[in-house]
Amino acid sequence: MIRNRPLLLLFRVVLGGLFIYAGVVKIVDPLGFAQDIRNYRLVGQSLSFIVAVVLPWLEVLAGVFLIAGIWKRGAALVITGLLVFFIVLTLVTMARGLDVDCGCFGSLSRKSGWGVVLEDLAMLALGLCLLMGPRKPRALP
Amino acid sequence: MSEAGRTLRQALAIAALSVAVAAVVRFPLIQRFARGEFRETFFVAADFPGLRMITSAEAEDLWRAGEAFVDARTEDLYRQGHVPRALSASAKDAETGLPLFFERLPLEGTLVVYCEGGDCQSSLALAKLLLKKGFTDIRIFSGGWEEWERAGLPAEKGDDQE
Repeated sequence: MIRNRPLLLLFRVVLGGLFIYAGVVKIVDPLGFAQDIRNYRLVGQSLSFIVAVVLPWLEVLAGVFLIAGIWKRGAALVITGLLVFFIVLTLVTMARGLDVDCGCFGSLSRKSGWGVVLEDLAMLALGLCLLMGPRKPRALP
Repeated sequence: MSEAGRTLRQALAIAALSVAVAAVVRFPLIQRFARGEFRETFFVAADFPGLRMITSAEAEDLWRAGEAFVDARTEDLYRQGHVPRALSASAKDAETGLPLFFERLPLEGTLVVYCEGGDCQSSLALAKLLLKKGFTDIRIFSGGWEEWERAGLPAEKGDDQE
């Protein structure tokens, strides 16, 4: 467990910042993101639309909460949960031989592949450090 | 409450908040979806004038009228069977450069683009490229090869004649 608080703060800012950025670029173009989701050919039109509308806000809010230090453990759980999902999704997509944009960072997205998995794994490592990080010291009664 | 339970509650609260914010901010878009827009594809028709989705019956009429068909699937699938006279332009390859035969097609002519059918997206991707290239009347046959074959319409095998 990492106990170095400045380092944990840096992790929060980096991870939270990346999620805020990823969310904002999707909020700007919800239909483009819905199309990216549809391209994975896993869910239908309606579910793609719903995910495209909600997921970017989940990314942004989790990022904001993580950086602000409010409910940071909950925010870290949301982020690690999403990253695990993204990694599984990317691996499944590769196994199915689909050639799709990952949709991760809007127009900066790359093809789903090992690069995306490695990026997500690196972020997941930061997320797990925060999730398992030291608890806030409780005030003595 | 245990630490794990508290963390889970916080995560759920963030998720609930996200749903609420998304519902408020995207209310107009959600209304449009509820009215039936974006049920076939996620492009806004006004953003892509000249692009239309068509049914297999419309595709058949256009084919019988001799309009140009473009097959956006891979060359391999094209060789196994395609709409007669359709030209092969794999959407994936077209990203790096459109096939030369497009130079000979009139920009104002009708182009029917199709792919596998079902969930396939390559016809839309190719259609957008063709719009950028200057074509003004592109029809996307979303049922694609699957529907064409199922309807028992004429088919052809082998390489592109172009």
